[in-house]
Parts: sequence; C-alpha cells; structure tokens
Amino acid sequence: MRLRLKGGRVLDPANGENGVASGATRDIEVEDGRIVAASDARADEEIDLGGDVVMAGGIDLHSHIAGGKMNLARLLMQEDRRAYPELTGAFCGCGGGRAVPTAHATGCRYAELGYTTVFEPAMLGANARGAHLEMADIPNLDTGAYLVLGNDDYILRLLAAGAGQEQINAYVGWMIEATQAFAVKIVNPGGINAFKFNARWMNLDEANPHYEVTPRKVLTTLIRAVTELGVPHPIHLHGCNLGVPGNEETTLATIRAAEGRRLHLTHLQFHSYGTEGDRKFSSAAARIAELVNASPNISVDVGQVMFGQTVTASADYMSQYRNRGLASPKKSIGMDIELDAACGVVPFEYRDKSFVNALQWAIGLELFLLVEDPWRIFLTTDHPNGGPFTTYPHLIRLLMDRDFRNAQLATLNKAAQAHTMLGEIRREYSLEEIAILTRAAPARILGLKDKGHLGAGGVGDVVVYREDADREAMFSKARYVFKNGRMIVKDGEIVDLARGTTHVLRPAYDRSSIEGDMQRWFDDAIGLKANHFRIADGELRGGAGPTILTCEGEGL
Amino acid sequence: MTSIDTPGVAASDGSPRLVRDVVCGFCGLGCDDLEIEVSGRAVRARGTVCPEAAKLFLRRGEEPDRSASRAGEACSQDDAASAARDILAAARSPLIAGLGADIDGGRAIVDLAATFGGVLDHSASVGLFRNFAATQRTGWLASTLAEVRNRCDVLLVVGDDPTSAFGRLFERLYPADPLFAKSRRVIFLGAAPGERALKQLDGVAVSHLPASDPVAALEALNGLVAGRRITGETIGGVPLPALADTAAALQGAAYAVATWNAAEFAEGDLVAERVTALIDALNVTTRAGVFPLGGRDNIIGINQLLLWRLGYPLRTAIRGGVSAHDPDLFAAANAVKDADVLVWVSAFRPEPPPASLVEDFAGKIIVLGHPDTPFDRDPDVFIPVGTPGIDHAGTVFRMDSIVSLPLGALRVATLPGVAEAVRRIAGAVA
Repeated sequence: MRLRLKGGRVLDPANGENGVASGATRDIEVEDGRIVAASDARADEEIDLGGDVVMAGGIDLHSHIAGGKMNLARLLMQEDRRAYPELTGAFCGCGGGRAVPTAHATGCRYAELGYTTVFEPAMLGANARGAHLEMADIPNLDTGAYLVLGNDDYILRLLAAGAGQEQINAYVGWMIEATQAFAVKIVNPGGINAFKFNARWMNLDEANPHYEVTPRKVLTTLIRAVTELGVPHPIHLHGCNLGVPGNEETTLATIRAAEGRRLHLTHLQFHSYGTEGDRKFSSAAARIAELVNASPNISVDVGQVMFGQTVTASADYMSQYRNRGLASPKKSIGMDIELDAACGVVPFEYRDKSFVNALQWAIGLELFLLVEDPWRIFLTTDHPNGGPFTTYPHLIRLLMDRDFRNAQLATLNKAAQAHTMLGEIRREYSLEEIAILTRAAPARILGLKDKGHLGAGGVGDVVVYREDADREAMFSKARYVFKNGRMIVKDGEIVDLARGTTHVLRPAYDRSSIEGDMQRWFDDAIGLKANHFRIADGELRGGAGPTILTCEGEGL
Repeated sequence: MTSIDTPGVAASDGSPRLVRDVVCGFCGLGCDDLEIEVSGRAVRARGTVCPEAAKLFLRRGEEPDRSASRAGEACSQDDAASAARDILAAARSPLIAGLGADIDGGRAIVDLAATFGGVLDHSASVGLFRNFAATQRTGWLASTLAEVRNRCDVLLVVGDDPTSAFGRLFERLYPADPLFAKSRRVIFLGAAPGERALKQLDGVAVSHLPASDPVAALEALNGLVAGRRITGETIGGVPLPALADTAAALQGAAYAVATWNAAEFAEGDLVAERVTALIDALNVTTRAGVFPLGGRDNIIGINQLLLWRLGYPLRTAIRGGVSAHDPDLFAAANAVKDADVLVWVSAFRPEPPPASLVEDFAGKIIVLGHPDTPFDRDPDVFIPVGTPGIDHAGTVFRMDSIVSLPLGALRVATLPGVAEAVRRIAGAVA
C-alpha cells in the first residue's frame, strides 16, 4: 500500500526542513505504514495538497486520558458528559464529554486536531491494568503512560533504610516492566505519602513524618535511577507545593537540585507563583524562565490555564485536598491508594474575571514566551487540569498572534492585567516553532526515533493543514490526518478509525536482586500476588501487545 | 498429584494437579491465593477458601455440558446465536441485564447494545447506586484494601457482619504485622460479628454497638465529632456513652476507616451519605477514608468499562447511537416495564433472571448463563457460557475500583465465553 501526498509545503524541523519559509513543495510517500523516499512507483492513493502545510502527527507528552482518576472524574462530573453529547455521524456514536471525554471521543477529537500520539502522565502501578484496558479502547492514537513513583511505601522504606542506588534501580526497572510503563513520573515527591500520615504541607527539604526522607532525596535518587537505567525520558516531575503562592522558591530550588542532570518539570505554570502585591499572588514566570533558559538539562511543559469549566484530576491528593474548597460545582473525590499513591478529583471553573485565574492564564503565556528554546518547552494544558485539550488551537493562536493575545488580555480581570508583563512581550511563535513544540521536540525527549518527523523510516503519521492567518481556525480542523498511512480525518471530520499501539519501555535491570523481595512485599504488605500485579504483554491493546523500546543502562 | 503454579497449563498425564495462586473473581474482594485442584473436567478448591468460592469453583466434571436451547429444545450454539440475533433485530427496546461478565465480555455487550440499542444494568447495582447517590452529590474521601490493611487503627463496620458476603474480608484487612497501625480496633455498629469474623479478628479489639437504626446512630456520631451537644439515653438503639466513646476513638485514630455494604440496607443511600460526612469531618484533623463494600460478579469492572466507553455508569441506555443515563428509569426493575426483550448475562454463577424481573414480563428472554442455571420457565434462547477464572482467562475489577486482576483458565473450555457468545450473536449484523 503506497500513499503519495503531492505538492505540500513540508514543515519538518527535526530534519531541518521548512517549506513554509522557503515556499518549496514536495511529495511525501508512505508505504505500508512507514514514510519512504519519494519515488516514481505507482501509488495506491495519490492526493494533491496544493501547497498545504505538511507536518508529522502531533505528540502530546502530558495529557490525562486514561486511568482510575479519569473514571472518577467522569462519575463525579456527569454534567460534563450531558453537556457534550455524541456527535452525529457513523463514527461518533460512542461517547462524548469535553473535560473528561470518553475513550472514543478522546481519540476522535485529538485526531481532528492532528494529534496521533498521546501520553498519560500519571499511571499508578496499582491501577496500571485498568489504565491499559482503557487505552486499548482509545481509537486513532498511539499511547503510553508514565508510572508514578516516589510516594510508594516500598521506595520510601528503602530510602529510609539507606538502600544503595543499585537496589533502587532494580526496583524501578521491575516496576516499569511490571506495569508496562514508558517513563517515570514523580508527583509531589513524598508528599502524597506524607499526607497519609496527616502532613498537610511538604517542602523540598522537609522530612516525611514517618520515614524522615525528604522530597529532595526522593527526587535525586529517582533522577539517578532513570539516568543509570537509560530511560530516554527524564524524570517527569510534578513538584512540591502545586498551586501555592510563593512556590517559585521551591521550583527554583528543585531545578538546582537536579545538579545538571536531565529533569522535566511538568505543568510549570502551577509552580510559578510569587507572593508580591496586595493579594499576595504574583507571577514568577520571568525568574523561573530565566533559570530554565540557563539550565540546558531542564525541559518543561506549561499546563496553560484556559477559561471555562473543567475538572482537575491528580495523584496529588495532598494538594487536591487543600484546594477542594475551591471546587465548582461543590463536590470532590479523594482516595488513598494501595501503599502506592493517591488521587484527588476536583471540578473547577477558571473564570476570566477572577484575579487568580486571569493571572494564572497570563503566567502560563509568560512562560511560553519567555522560555527561549522551543525544544525544551511543550504545549500542554495538563488536560483536563488547566483546560481540555480541545482548546489547543486557541492556545496556538495566543502564542502566534500578539494582537489577538493582547486583545484577549484586555478583557480580563483588571487587577490581573496590572500584575502581568504579558502585554509588553513582543514574541510571536512561528509555525516552525509550533511544529517543534508539538511534534519534533516531544519525540526527541521521549526517545521516539521514528516519530515527530517526516524523514524516511518514520511512522506514517502525517497531518496536512490548510494555511490560514487565523491560526485557531487552521489548527482546529486538520485537512487530512493519516495514521500509519491510512486516512482517518478529512476536512476536519473523522472518516475512519485506526487501532493505535501502546509504547512501553523495557529497561535492563538486575532481576535476581529484586524478584524475591517484591514477592514478599506484595504477599505481606499489599495482600496481592506480585505475579498478578504484573501485566502481561498480551493484556495490552486487546491482545496485540505493546510497542517495545528497550534501553540499556550504564554498567549493565 | 502434580503441583504447578501456572494456571492454564494442564498436566500432560491427566493426573490431578494443584494450581496455586488462583484469582477468585466472584465477590469482588479479589483474593488471589487460592489453591484449586483440577482433575480432568473436575475442579475443586482446597485449603483456605470462603464458602462462596468453594461452591462457585466446584465442578464435579461428571456430566456433559448443557446444550444451548430454544424454548427448552436443545440446539447448536450457532442456531441459538442466530435465534438471539433474530429476536434482537426485531426488538424495539431491549434490556440487557445481569451483566455478570469479565471486561472482554463487557466490551462485547456494549458493542451489542450499540448495535441493537438497549438499557444496560448489572444484577448487583442496587448497592452501587445507593453509594453513588452520596458520591455524585458531594464526592467522598476513600481508601483501598492495602491502605486499610496497613494503616487503619479504628474501623467502623456499619450494618450486618460483612463476612457472610465477603468471606475473607477481615483476614485480608488484618494481617499479622501491619506496617503502620500501632493498635487495631473494630467497632461493629449494627449486628454482632459472627464466629468467622471473630476468628479472623483474633488479636484485634472488637466492640459491638447494637444499632437498630444505623442512620440515626451515624447522625449522632457526626454530631459528636462536630462537637454538638447530643441528648438522649440511646440513639438508634445505642447508648449515648458508647457513641461518644466511638466518636472519640474515631477522632483519636491516626487513620480511621468506615465500611458498609449499601446493598443490605433499604436506606443504604442515607448510610452512605452519613458515613461520607463523618469521614469528611474526621479528615479536618486526622486521616480517614470510606471503604464501601460490594463488587460481586465484576460489577465494578463493567461499571468502569461503561464510564470510559460511554461516559456514564451502569443504568445507561443506548438508543440511536446516543447514550443516556438515569439511575432510576434505567434500573433493570424499571426498565423492564418498557422492554420487549430481556437479555440476561450471568457467567459467574448459575443465577437465572430474578422473578421480580420476569414474572410479569411478556417479551422474549435470551439468557447467556452458567450451564447449571435453573429455570422455572425456559427462556426463548439459552446460551450456556464458560465461567471466567475457570474456563476462560479474563480481567475483573476489585471492589475498590482501582485494582483489577487477571483471571486464568483452569481447564480447557468447552463452552464459549461471554465475549465470544455475544460476538457470535452480533456477528452477522451488517
């Protein structure tokens, strides 16, 4: 099966190609699901693009699309589902919702925007099987999940006992393999655990009330573990003190704590707050962006706040419990989970007339515009926590169009306008930079060599946009989306459903040192057999199994 | 006897074999350490096992499998599937209930409902929806098995002794050496604990408050925790000093947990609401969680599946490609009044559709059930299916909705699983 897309302006920053700037057009060919060099061979399907912009399939490295907390959010927020019913048409008879869409709607709405790969950033080991079952029912997207570690009693017990790094590494390797994860996430390092012992706050150097281990120790130990195991994606960190005014100091200290090792700070917007001004809430974006710019080991995603109703769902029960008074509507769910982690689900409405919400919006945009290297910053709303992913086209326009951005700013809470430097920032993102943020850079930081670009050998996930000065319109409805060379979107509408795959990582680790101890831990503490915790390849994607990326660490 | 640890691997010489670490998918507690002896077609639990699992695992293996049938007349599986398809194709308003199936069976059932339309409800949903009445209004703060097992120092059990429905509950919750709980106390608010419970609670401080009205007693506990002055000698059948002692114990706990089985109370929604409020209040100063009981026949798994597939929990109707949820209207007991076809699925146990559903029902009945299912009146179509965890591998969720477990196959299946049987029905639909 050969597909030929004729005469597109190819925007492929990973390979240094910018047809938008040069005006040059060329053909893209996909054979049996992979991109191949352009040829004269007879194509089974040929489409004339007439100079439209061609990019690789979009990759979202942080979006909550599966797992128990999303189902709790669906259960709690039936309003969201009722307000967004099924779309008409043969391919959307199975679900709706906006803040917490169904699996089917998730796959369809993402595909319409031109995304073909999305990572669930907070899979609990205890809930991993459920998350994989749910991901199997998401059409049109390849998926993967980051395993939440660092609040589990197993690792804290090891750290408290002064275990060696080798033992930690073996544990991390065992857990990644057992849960079919792709990377490691830390959420409020040690804080979720501390909340189980009734601590309500946790700073970077504060000792856990039971284990006396600090978040810094958890963070640095796990950074070393993924480095030594050779995990391509750095530690994906949701830091301490999410949402707390003044958390800028924690964030700056956290960046320094990495000591030059690679570290990814997620939804940085929620961690960039100062305490200046009458309301003791201010933007620290400039200070934080300055340190990020000076720290080539650091990457970030923003977690932009978008106005409207959403529901926040996080493993950070400590923070979510603190914020539950702000719930709108007034209801929330919290859960301590399996000596592993926890979750908190709090519905939230971000209002443009609220000082805090408007400033959060501005802080996110300041970060986007002040962090200079587009390869180290990623476009996210922390779906659905800052807003649903379906707002991405609007966000892209905010980044690319200064007049539009300032016009939006002028409608917001007046005090918030006075507290942001956003109006003075002149930067506008280029199309090439958007392609880096949403394609090339996430592929690179995830270690997905055959994604995020359009070179020969790449996966045949190809997206065509018709250029439009209104960037929101341009990115709302892709003209075409091809998944492994098969057309799934035409003129912004779903025309077919493709089955995606799930990316998992297989690190090499010292099995002999860990297996017996894991079995004892599960038998005695968890009350479940380690063998039943472990997920077999055949349990993924309806029996199709995962797409495996192997990694070899140092000294193995 | 051969002894092996891997379910699904048959001893080559046909001698009896002992399969260890078998997962049990029946009550929702998720025990996964069973020892099951398999000899040819015969299956029997050994060692530590609750009475319900012993009964539900037992296969004497002597009789041939029951055949599929139409109106009581034996027929092939294909003919039965074809007859079921004809009935569904002509149906105006099917009710698909029971839903005792593993996740893959559930997926096939949702597809079937999407094709033919239908209301989806599970046989055990009454308790679940009593709890949801509280959850969906205010939310709640919850805990899971391993947390209760290791942290809980004061457990409040509301209602009857749960051991009759969840045979090994206290054994699972009270290991010999919890990681954190410095002391362990269980307070039964309702019926007295039975012998089996007390045996499992060996070494745990047990007290019993004989509440005749648990809702009233819970309200008083809420008042006491809130520091309100409560008057009266007894409340809900419990002497006030005992309630005051309980309130103090809960407030003094490092990690208090309250558990109840909403299915057993007519006023289960009120119990859920009062317990939720109590746990909420406790969390202001200490840590606490609700631990609701339930989860029979993978109801939690099917509910989870519906949430991610349709965006709604059980008691949802699919009509014309659109789902709608209504916890009253689409409860099987109400939906049956508007239904013209009943599809009943019960793979875990030989349970026919309850009399309350079928006694006044004039429509056609299709049953996908355990081969030993007894019927007062033969259904229009009966398709016997294998049992997940005995005949088929599959996935079920535990009662806490977080942990799910892989069921293995213990013997070679001679009957289709629910997924296969349902897909066979849907198969020829264009």
